[in-house]
Amino acid sequence: MDIREYGELEEVRQAEGQVGIEPGGLYGGTYGGTYVPATMTPNETLAQEAPTRPEVGTQAREGDDGFTQLAGRSSSPLAAAFRRFLRDWRAVAALAILIVIVAFSFIFPLFYQHMGGRTVGGNLGNRPIGPEQYHQFDFNDLSHPGMNGTIISVTFTPPFVQFHFGGPDAAFHPLGSDSLGRDILARLMAGVSISIELAIVVELFDVGLGLLFGTLAGWYSGWLGFILDRFTDVMFAFPGLLLIILMGATLGPVFDDKFKPIVGPIYSRIFLLVLAIGLLAWPLMMRFVRGSTLQLKEQQYVEAARVSGTPNRKIIMRHVIPNLMNVVIVASTLSVLGTIIGEAGLSALGVGIRPPGSSLGLMISDGLGDLYILPGEVLWPVLVLIIIVVCLSFIGDGVRDAFDPRTKD
Amino acid sequence: MDEVLGTATPIIILVVIVALIVAAAIRLGPGFVIKRMAGLVFVLLGVTFITFILGYLSPASPILLQCGEKCTPPLLAHLQQVYGLDLPWYQQYYNFVFRLLHFDLGLSYKAGGRSVVEILNRGIPVSVQLGVMALISQLLLGIPAGIFAARRAGTRVDTGLMSVSLVTFSLPTFVTIPFFQLITVVLSLNHWPHLPLSGWGTPEQMIAPVGILTLVGFGYYARLTRTTMLDVLGQDYIRTARAKGLTDRTVTIRHAFRNALVPLVTAVGPALAFVVSGAVFTESFFNIPGIGFFAANAILSTDMPIVQGTVVVVATTVVLMNVMVDVIYGLLDPRIKVQ
Repeated sequence: MDIREYGELEEVRQAEGQVGIEPGGLYGGTYGGTYVPATMTPNETLAQEAPTRPEVGTQAREGDDGFTQLAGRSSSPLAAAFRRFLRDWRAVAALAILIVIVAFSFIFPLFYQHMGGRTVGGNLGNRPIGPEQYHQFDFNDLSHPGMNGTIISVTFTPPFVQFHFGGPDAAFHPLGSDSLGRDILARLMAGVSISIELAIVVELFDVGLGLLFGTLAGWYSGWLGFILDRFTDVMFAFPGLLLIILMGATLGPVFDDKFKPIVGPIYSRIFLLVLAIGLLAWPLMMRFVRGSTLQLKEQQYVEAARVSGTPNRKIIMRHVIPNLMNVVIVASTLSVLGTIIGEAGLSALGVGIRPPGSSLGLMISDGLGDLYILPGEVLWPVLVLIIIVVCLSFIGDGVRDAFDPRTKD
Repeated sequence: MDEVLGTATPIIILVVIVALIVAAAIRLGPGFVIKRMAGLVFVLLGVTFITFILGYLSPASPILLQCGEKCTPPLLAHLQQVYGLDLPWYQQYYNFVFRLLHFDLGLSYKAGGRSVVEILNRGIPVSVQLGVMALISQLLLGIPAGIFAARRAGTRVDTGLMSVSLVTFSLPTFVTIPFFQLITVVLSLNHWPHLPLSGWGTPEQMIAPVGILTLVGFGYYARLTRTTMLDVLGQDYIRTARAKGLTDRTVTIRHAFRNALVPLVTAVGPALAFVVSGAVFTESFFNIPGIGFFAANAILSTDMPIVQGTVVVVATTVVLMNVMVDVIYGLLDPRIKVQ
């Protein structure tokens, strides 16, 4: 650790980009019940340094962007990082599992719709039912809550947890149905796809705003930098989870009023979550980007560009932003995890996605009341969420290591 | 606030804070302290404004609900006047901040119109109890794990331990707690010994919440300790200490760990503030009457003043803790010099 001048302590911390990232750290990590300071961890930093170009050697040749590269090693930093990522078997396995889960929950509903069982009796008569109907409360007479007609169902009959396979073909619920008769598999798939859609939109929001304001604050570090800095201070002071809960609770009814007629009840809630989680996520991204921009500003090639009269905008677009990609990729990988956890948490508290929408968190909180009767209602969403979280944290770890300049090839 | 200020602990804490600030002012010069305090005021204004404006934007349906079925326009107007909702927003914000300065967080929309301070007063001791117990056990588990991993860096033990801490650390409490409750239900159905599902007060009831918070939190300290330890272990003076013939144990504890403590202190400071609020899920799933529990209930019944009060209290604590950390950092690390 270097000697710090006290007056500059804050600046040094930021400039060194010592805002260590840990998964879950995005929202002050209040999800896990403990605070993860959004401040520095001295060593475990984000890959902050600009990708160092190889020294100009005797055997140098012109690189495609005007920089010289050594003849033997012409791979870009991005490709090198990708290669390093592939070497981390944990991360690759996690990525594969995640892709399978996500693809399954986006593709399978298309088929599942036609695979639905038949209702027996009830006011629906004897006809096939699709998963879109499984989400509706008013179809609860089409199934028998619990284990009838499931491929796998779970009961807690002593002495152990019992998994039942097969069953009378009342209605086709592969994983059973919840206390209202909604199909658990259908709700799981809907929940996962909503999480993923949300994560993608929040990431766009996060990266867009973070890059824009981060580079601006880093490059023009005058009053603009000062204001943006104080803004992030304010945002970091909030207990992240409480702030998004507050936003969900206060703005929820407003969003329902405004958007429900236009986009329906599910997407009006998704808009709300994008706003709440995105607003909380981007200041951290901005701080990372700002830290790296401050470093890049001191790089010789940037100075050279400036001396040769390149306009600021062009320098930022051509020289700064491409070199920020490593920071952005690492931070956004980790923030995906935060987004998915945040959505599930908000929905579990009843201020996020609401019925008829489906979410893993919502399913967990719905099921907690029926713990003794229908354990599967809690078990399946908990398992899926655990798998997703574990996969994403391994991927995040792998990506961070891959982009860390100290990792050797 | 009378109740809180009436007891001895908060006064001791206040005295310690003031003493630290004075010490910092003496050692590092008043300029530093003034700068930090100015930043503090700015951040607090921002925090209160955002909290206020969110409450302001929310529809005032709780008032309608409280008004009841026999609601008449004059009654509604009276209620709005009581809660100060008929004023323009800047006036309301002024009142909000003005009352905050007097430790008055307004009246709850529900709960018979009790004051928010009264409700927080009941919750804070419980939350602090839970949070401090959880934090201590996290540190007791996390720091040794980190040291252990750092001394075996690169081995299978190290990667295994770090993977475990990464996983437990990433899992949110609203996943681990239902999982724990499932297991408890299985045990109870079999009449096997099991922990109580909810409640707070007896030692058995405390084991599960503290244990789960420890499980999800220790990973952070383990990883932080490991990285700082690795950093310190690579320093020259460690080699000197080893060369001079000190035992491995002495080097690790006396030379390396003491220097690795500085970053840990900076991490624990804000954590102290957050453990109080961070247990929203733990408290509401286990029915622990802390501020997280009250806040979660208030959210569901759109009782904004309670939520706002909780957010303001926690955010203020966080900001104060951050200032404290900077001050302590300056006092701990002698390499930091006054400009």
